[in-house]
Amino acid sequence: MISTLPSIGVFTTNTDLVVQVWDAALARLTGISEESAAGRRLTVLLPDLEKRGLLKRFHRSLQDGVVEVLAPAFHHYLIPCAPVSPSEQFDKMQQRVTIAPLRDEESIAGLIVTIEDVTERLERERELATRLEEGDETTRLHAAETLSADAAFDTGPLLGALSDESWRVRRAAVTGMSQRAAPEAIAALLHSVVENHQNPSLLSSALQVLASSDVDTLSPLTQLLQSPDSDLRMQSALALGEQRDVRAAAGLINALQDDDANVRYHAIEALGKLKAVEAVEPLVEIAESRDFFLAFPALDALAKIGDARVAPRIVPLLEDDLLRVPAIGLFGQLGDETAVEPLTALLNTENAPTDSVAAALAELRDRYEEQYGEGDYIADLASRQISPTGVQNLLDALEEPGKESLRPLALVLGWLKRTGVERALTRLMGRNDLRDEIIDALVRHGSGTFDVLLPQLSAEDLEVRRSAVVALGRIGDARATPALVSVLDDESLAIEAANALAQIGDPQALDGLIELMGNHDASIRQAAASAINSLATPEISKRIIPRLHDPDPNVRESAVKIAGYFGYPEAAGALLTLSSDPVERVRCAAIEHLPFVEDDRALEILTHAIREETPAVRAAAARALSNVDAPEAVRHLIDGLFADDVWVRYFSARALGRRRSPESVAALEKVIAEEKFNHVRIAALDSLGQIGSPHVAGIAAGLVRDDDPDVARAAQATLEKTGQ
Amino acid sequence: MTFRSQNLILPEGASTLIQKLINERTGMFFDNGKRDLLLDKLSPLVIERGFSSYLDYYYLLKYDEAARSEWQNVMNALSVQETYFWREIDQVRALVQTLLPQCYARNPRSTLRIWSAACATGEEPLTIAMALNEAGWFERASIEIVASDASSNAIDRAVRGVYKARAFRSLSTQLRDRYFEPEGADWRIRSDIHRRVKWTVANLMEEDQIAPLASADFIFCRNVFIYFSENAIRRAVHSFAKFIRSPGHLFIGAAESLIRLSTDFTLTEVDDAFVYVKREKVI
Repeated sequence: MISTLPSIGVFTTNTDLVVQVWDAALARLTGISEESAAGRRLTVLLPDLEKRGLLKRFHRSLQDGVVEVLAPAFHHYLIPCAPVSPSEQFDKMQQRVTIAPLRDEESIAGLIVTIEDVTERLERERELATRLEEGDETTRLHAAETLSADAAFDTGPLLGALSDESWRVRRAAVTGMSQRAAPEAIAALLHSVVENHQNPSLLSSALQVLASSDVDTLSPLTQLLQSPDSDLRMQSALALGEQRDVRAAAGLINALQDDDANVRYHAIEALGKLKAVEAVEPLVEIAESRDFFLAFPALDALAKIGDARVAPRIVPLLEDDLLRVPAIGLFGQLGDETAVEPLTALLNTENAPTDSVAAALAELRDRYEEQYGEGDYIADLASRQISPTGVQNLLDALEEPGKESLRPLALVLGWLKRTGVERALTRLMGRNDLRDEIIDALVRHGSGTFDVLLPQLSAEDLEVRRSAVVALGRIGDARATPALVSVLDDESLAIEAANALAQIGDPQALDGLIELMGNHDASIRQAAASAINSLATPEISKRIIPRLHDPDPNVRESAVKIAGYFGYPEAAGALLTLSSDPVERVRCAAIEHLPFVEDDRALEILTHAIREETPAVRAAAARALSNVDAPEAVRHLIDGLFADDVWVRYFSARALGRRRSPESVAALEKVIAEEKFNHVRIAALDSLGQIGSPHVAGIAAGLVRDDDPDVARAAQATLEKTGQ
Repeated sequence: MTFRSQNLILPEGASTLIQKLINERTGMFFDNGKRDLLLDKLSPLVIERGFSSYLDYYYLLKYDEAARSEWQNVMNALSVQETYFWREIDQVRALVQTLLPQCYARNPRSTLRIWSAACATGEEPLTIAMALNEAGWFERASIEIVASDASSNAIDRAVRGVYKARAFRSLSTQLRDRYFEPEGADWRIRSDIHRRVKWTVANLMEEDQIAPLASADFIFCRNVFIYFSENAIRRAVHSFAKFIRSPGHLFIGAAESLIRLSTDFTLTEVDDAFVYVKREKVI
């Protein structure tokens, strides 16, 4: 194939469009010699480039990195010259031109332009196209078969034949359309590559051109692996890795025996990129050879291939000073639980590569957690096998300055219940990037960390105090209650402290939390109310119910949220009264909690509120009605769908979904069709999905391309929920 | 890590929607590492609105016709107001000693305008006013200083003109005593200097708000782009270029740079300070 006389010529330019390479094929095709072309600016060589509107195509390729194709049907030629063989129809050579960026690392260094002489082909194509239109069935069929058999012909005439009255002609056209490829073009282009391979960017750019044509480059590239030129073999190996086609593995495995080490190096890398499982054995052998130049990429390729069975073969490499670190990395990436023992054995030695081992153990643990939810299994295994020397190595590594990440060390130390570890971990509590790991580790250590954590509540660093509060809450030991209550005074930590006290659930926290009920910050009030709700002590009702009448509206609002949550019968009257409190915020809270009050008047108040109150209270009433059992609530919510306030409509729509009210389907569909505000339409759509309306899939399908991305996203989610 | 307001519902994907909306409307960029911080800062606003879900609040900000005032609450909740007098003074010195005199020489009869585009609680424009006063420029030229911030809370504090000791960490006691009067434990700016500055609220993402302000000879927009996404910086700088007078000068913070962005300004060095100068022609 490579020896075929090419009808494709190639030239390259730099970014100023000055010709760099002008190959022999192009010189033969155009009659312009390399000497007269090289070094000249393209616009000088082809003065009408701009006038013909072609210059911008070159600039676009240079600037945007795109591949531009000048089709002969439109542009006829780039370089004006006579056809190689005389033509009846064309006085100039017809050319198919591909302009592609020539890359140098990350940037574009110039262009590679291929020019294919298509004169004869076009001539023949026109002749066959005429026959396709004018001949009898036999002539048309012959023309269609001829056009189909040669993929170099344009698909235009075949497209017309797809509607031919003869099925035979139609079948021939379909066959031709589905088998388009251009092996000759590849061969010719690759021939040029062979001639010009000393330009290292040429091959990759040529492949880019070929890739844009959807042609198979595997076979010719594999053939190039047999080239006598070692540079070309190396470039081919590199390119085959980039193609990501596993069929290249066999050729690349053969290349592992190449005489040239650079070719072997690139073949190893390519096999890694291909994740070629069949290459595992030869790659392990290369790693075992401990060849300094090749063992590194072999270990890297094995990690990419990810076959865990190689791990036992790699164990001896842990003793190799040079290959130890990549071997450890390999264990982290593909090892299983059996990797823990050799890794910890290494960690337990003097002068252990502690950071690498910790990183590998952490990676192994993370992978087990992600894949099987069994990260703790690796942690337990490791913690049992790490000796006092290993612990000391970890603690020493933690003290070394200038580390990019301490997470692996913190994580592995967190597995170990040993003296000194907790104190080391608490020193890292102020670091935001390690906070989760440190808190998890301290929580795992449980109440034993008390002596270490309590002093941290008065640390100077806010983040340290915050982590200590969170950890104490998660440990859940009531001995921490007094200390946490004292932190409630600090507004920057009050929410975390309230959450921690909620987790502990110690009634001793009640007084401190009650103090926060009147706080100016709504988040703190909310956290305090939620924490009180988790204490579950009979003392609460005695302390909270009187506060329903507190002069401070913040306190009344918090008291409503607590009394309403517990549904105290003795608070029912007060809650009903507070539904007409002068402060809107208190009324909203009371209204939202009325469904939890055992009183017949509650429904009447709610249905009145959704019609007659201020917009905020009406919206609260809509939210509340989702929790009311009475069937008539649905009617009021349907009315709410068409209320004048948008938030009443929104929350009515949401409430109907929560109630799963089939009688509201028609109204919700109307909202989707007519509502002005998209969030109300989204709420209605969500609710139709919750109700299980038979029309919901159809409605959602009509909205997945809505101009508003929120609507489109909600429609997509609804379709997924309905299994469409 | 869980965010602090565990009592609010955060439906799947809602935090991303909020992050994107905040970036689009305010320029501020909270990446995933700062997601919890953003949610924490918004949580009081969500609760105050009576909502139990961040998604409801997102819809309020995005769709509600009355959301303009709510956006002001968001700006107040998210804005960083930590600054001080005489901060990065080299640029102010370059303005007072070199650039403003050049500008004055070109147009001695016109009013020179300086805009402090993200003035927080007012330390930057007051620093400029003090420096100009020290050099005697208010007697020689007609100078207008306009200061704006996206946070109305910050502007309210700037209008009050009372500062705590932390704001004076870089100002000499001599200058402090010359320009401030003690007020309890705090300090109040001298009224004649305070009056030199016109205060207003403006969001750098809203071109109609910044157009009348950006028609200035000098724009100071320092220590705000560190919180912005690249797109937001590009938008703001493009608006500056559109309205700034020619040859306009733009000052940004020492930790910030426009080098990675293609803008209508060129970096130059004036008296050991980096300053961006508007190119002749806006592309």
